[in-house]
Amino acid sequence: MAEKVLEVKDLVVEFKTDRGTVKAVNGVNFDVYKGKTVGVVGESGSGKSVTALAIMGLIPNPPGRIAGGEINFKGKSLVNIAGEEMRKIRGNKIAMIFQEPMTSLNPVFTIGDQIEEVLELHQPNLDNKARAAKAVDMLRLVGIPSPEKRVHEYPHQLSGGMRQRVMIAIALSCEPDVLIADEPTTALDVTIQAQILELMKKLQKELGMGIILITHDLGVVAETCDDVAVMYCGQIVERADVKTLFNHPQHPYTKGLMESIPSFDSTTGVKKERLQTIEGMVPSLFELPSGCNFQDRCKHATEVCKGIQGEPHLRDIGAGHQVSCFHPLN
Amino acid sequence: MNIWLYIIRKVVNMIPTLLGVCLIVFVLFNLVAPDPALLLLGKHGTVEQIAQIHRELGLDRPFWAQYFDIVKSAFTWDFGYSWSSKQEIWQMIKNGAFPSMAITVPAFILTNAIAISISLLVSFYRGKMLDKSVVFVCVAMMSIPGLAYILFGQYFFAYKLGLFEIAGYEPGFPNFVPYVLLPIVLYLIMNIGPDVRYYRTAVLDEIYQDYVRTARAKGLTEKKILFKHVLKNAMIPILTYLIIQIPFLVLGGILTESFFSIPGLGGLTIKAINTSDFPVIKAMTILSAVAFMVFNLLTDVLYTLVDPRAKLK
Repeated sequence: MAEKVLEVKDLVVEFKTDRGTVKAVNGVNFDVYKGKTVGVVGESGSGKSVTALAIMGLIPNPPGRIAGGEINFKGKSLVNIAGEEMRKIRGNKIAMIFQEPMTSLNPVFTIGDQIEEVLELHQPNLDNKARAAKAVDMLRLVGIPSPEKRVHEYPHQLSGGMRQRVMIAIALSCEPDVLIADEPTTALDVTIQAQILELMKKLQKELGMGIILITHDLGVVAETCDDVAVMYCGQIVERADVKTLFNHPQHPYTKGLMESIPSFDSTTGVKKERLQTIEGMVPSLFELPSGCNFQDRCKHATEVCKGIQGEPHLRDIGAGHQVSCFHPLN
Repeated sequence: MNIWLYIIRKVVNMIPTLLGVCLIVFVLFNLVAPDPALLLLGKHGTVEQIAQIHRELGLDRPFWAQYFDIVKSAFTWDFGYSWSSKQEIWQMIKNGAFPSMAITVPAFILTNAIAISISLLVSFYRGKMLDKSVVFVCVAMMSIPGLAYILFGQYFFAYKLGLFEIAGYEPGFPNFVPYVLLPIVLYLIMNIGPDVRYYRTAVLDEIYQDYVRTARAKGLTEKKILFKHVLKNAMIPILTYLIIQIPFLVLGGILTESFFSIPGLGGLTIKAINTSDFPVIKAMTILSAVAFMVFNLLTDVLYTLVDPRAKLK
């Protein structure tokens, strides 16, 4: 068993709004192991990104706050840690890359400056020359051609894929134990997506960090993740290793997500079957139903799902496979 | 692109603009405005007297020749003589520039330095009590007309408390200092409200950008994020706002100068308007147009220093 580097336990994140307090994340559990990738999957608004920001200690407060649960990094709690101490971990031991490579870099500084900045902050023993050299090395590591020249360029001179590589270079320059990738390929062309995912896998092998990959794309999950957590309305509805999840999805929502991936016959290139969709919409966090949050969109919903016996809880159904459903599929 | 080449091309491009300005001045003063002969002679001028003044002022010549006179004055800066004071206009402008700038330059620097500092401070505490109170005070200060500040300042601070000179001017340093203090303070009070609000918006527009989230994720302190990442990006709108004010500094404050009897360019202009001194008004109009064009060019050039995306085209 690989070393556990990050543990998220019963995490609850609340936001105060004009319409009342909502729980954007409500009791989320998962672990990140050294050299392994956890996929966090879900639709927009399911609480994936909020979970990531909570781990980074970047929940804007107010209106948000971590209302409960634990985040333990190598046995050290990150909840209610002092700002000063968290800043030493953030960008250093836990780093993050974002969905928007086009806007995530500062347009008025060279990419070299932006890599060196994080080194200056977390590795103060490096002198100017060593920092500059390390910036070039990082660009080479993430596969940017002629890095000695590129290091002096500005973000607008690079393509989206190149900028995401620079973001990865910034995130990995202090060799973090955990990399959080929040939809890192969503804004990129499909061919570039594959390159970035390949790059992340390669760097994970070299540097051994644990990755939390946040995505709504199950195709990406299948290709890169070891474990998967499926989120819906701020809760994890199913958790398993990637093979089990794809072969035996237990939650109707997971199954629905899989059926909404277009599939093609690899030999003929013909679309196999009509694409399925999940009927209905994600319920508003202000008007969550009692019982199972997915009941209104679920074909298998019965009276039990309306909450007469309480809410469904994540329970083991064997071999590290957990599901939160009254009527799991098999 | 070479910056000097860019400047030369822009300056060449100014020529047609300036010709257009001259055309507007010509239309306004020669075709729309009342006949200057009537203004000079009053109601009782005879036909011969009117014809003679027309000859003296060159108004009997063809239109193209009169337009050419204006164009010539715009390029040679020889604006002729004032009708009322009979002085050379260029000399009057040179004499008026210093008193105007003795007020506006220190007032401008002081006001903007304070406004930018305050806006950074309130952006740091955005949404908090301090931020809200500052915005409230700014709006309150903006809501009072400038005239009210001038009259109150002259009556209360200068007359009642005797802290400043009420009005007037003496040339030469340090003689002018007591006369410009109250106008500077009033400029500050009149402009700090809108300035703080503008700069605050410029800074806040940047604070919610994605690159700020990246900077936080790096582990930088909020202070460093604000002063390094945000400020450099906010410099783009800040510079625009700063430079567009500069022509007004040279041209002086019309209201302030006339209330404080400062012999500056603002006072010069208002006097020329009151006495229908057409050559002076024409000169000031052309001067303003040139000042705006020059400082717009300066803005473009400075952009390239703060924003690497700005290309000289």
